[in-house]
Amino acid sequence: MNVIIVGCGRVGAELALLLSRRAHDVTVIDHVGSSFGHLDPAYRGRTIEAEPLAEGVLEKAGIRETQALAAVTNSDAVNAVVAHVARSVYDVPNVVARNYDPRWLVLHEAMGLTSVSSTAWGAQRIEELLERPRLRAVFSAGNGEVELYELQVPEAWVGRTLGALVGGIACSPVSLTHGGRATLPEPGRVLGAGDIVHVTATLEGAGDLGRRLEGTEA
Amino acid sequence: MEILIAGGGRTGATLALTLHAQKHEVRLLEHRPSVLAHIHRELPTELIYEGNPNDPRTLEFARIADAQVLVASMSSDAENLSLCFIAREHFKVPRTIATINDPRFAWLFGPRFHVDVAVNQADILAGLIEQELSVGDMMTLLKLRKGSYSLVSETLVADARAVGQTLREVEFPRNAVVCAILRRNDVVIPRGDVRFEAGDEVLALVDEASAQQLAALFGPPAPATARL
Repeated sequence: MNVIIVGCGRVGAELALLLSRRAHDVTVIDHVGSSFGHLDPAYRGRTIEAEPLAEGVLEKAGIRETQALAAVTNSDAVNAVVAHVARSVYDVPNVVARNYDPRWLVLHEAMGLTSVSSTAWGAQRIEELLERPRLRAVFSAGNGEVELYELQVPEAWVGRTLGALVGGIACSPVSLTHGGRATLPEPGRVLGAGDIVHVTATLEGAGDLGRRLEGTEA
Repeated sequence: MEILIAGGGRTGATLALTLHAQKHEVRLLEHRPSVLAHIHRELPTELIYEGNPNDPRTLEFARIADAQVLVASMSSDAENLSLCFIAREHFKVPRTIATINDPRFAWLFGPRFHVDVAVNQADILAGLIEQELSVGDMMTLLKLRKGSYSLVSETLVADARAVGQTLREVEFPRNAVVCAILRRNDVVIPRGDVRFEAGDEVLALVDEASAQQLAALFGPPAPATARL
């Protein structure tokens, strides 16, 4: 796959390395030449020092033959414009924009861009670890509005039902693993020691579930 | 008219003041504290809306959906582009005008970002300066219909063929019309009895072929070169 990465800060350089290790054909563009210093010596792709939005630069980077583009500069406006140009002018099939300032996320959404908010996502992860140590997020849908969590049944919940644990809150059980064997969960299922439960939940649902697990709420 | 201006820098603030004086309903959006301090001294407070123009809540607070015109005059071209896009897509603003800071980005300012009018500041300034430097030389002010017709300006040199003749006497090329004569600080309406003087700046609408012939009438008697 040919991939163009616009912006060679920490995110851009890390992404370039990941893709280059998977043997993709990567081109990184940044208007500041010294930014390429962020790239790992193991990176095996092209670099172009140029203003990405100046006429002809994306074409020089091969945008007409590219299958994917990531706009990951630290300017939300530049990311939005690059992503929109890639999509609407050059028909790049897969375009992802990085969201830097969470207040811009609404604008990225209004422009119909697929965006990843590393700032909002990182803060949310840390908050979860601080507030709900028993719940581990293993997958985020969208920009984290709904997440898939893994939890190990605590001592206090052994012998009670799954329905009692997840009933009445914004939370759906996905699977129950007992002795290394996963099954589809039934609400009447009695929880055993060492069982692992996967649930999807909103932030609010995860908060409620966290409090139940801690025993701070019946 | 209700006009929302995003960006209170030199251009935005001057425009807000001018439009306010013409009784338009102007709202100026700005968030940088240093700029706000400055514009609060120059503009009536009720025109100034504090907030980041990139934040949709600020746009709603400044009632963007009621504006007939949005002027994006921020110092970031990417911000001007995305704001025009959002203004049309999201808030249905009927007309958008954006300033171009860096001419290298000019190619993006157009329908794909819902920019109805793009004002290229560097181009305009360069054009004005070039015009000042070009006495006796033809200047293209505006190209119409993809360049087949142009509005040109030419300053008459003292020994030009047309000097001393009235408009009626000069044999103009078929596809050329004189639109105005700028004489000293006045604008002279071009009627048949107006006599050309050295130093007159003539604005004319011409096609490519007539531009050459016009240059021969107004320029120096030696073969003149038209720059179109």
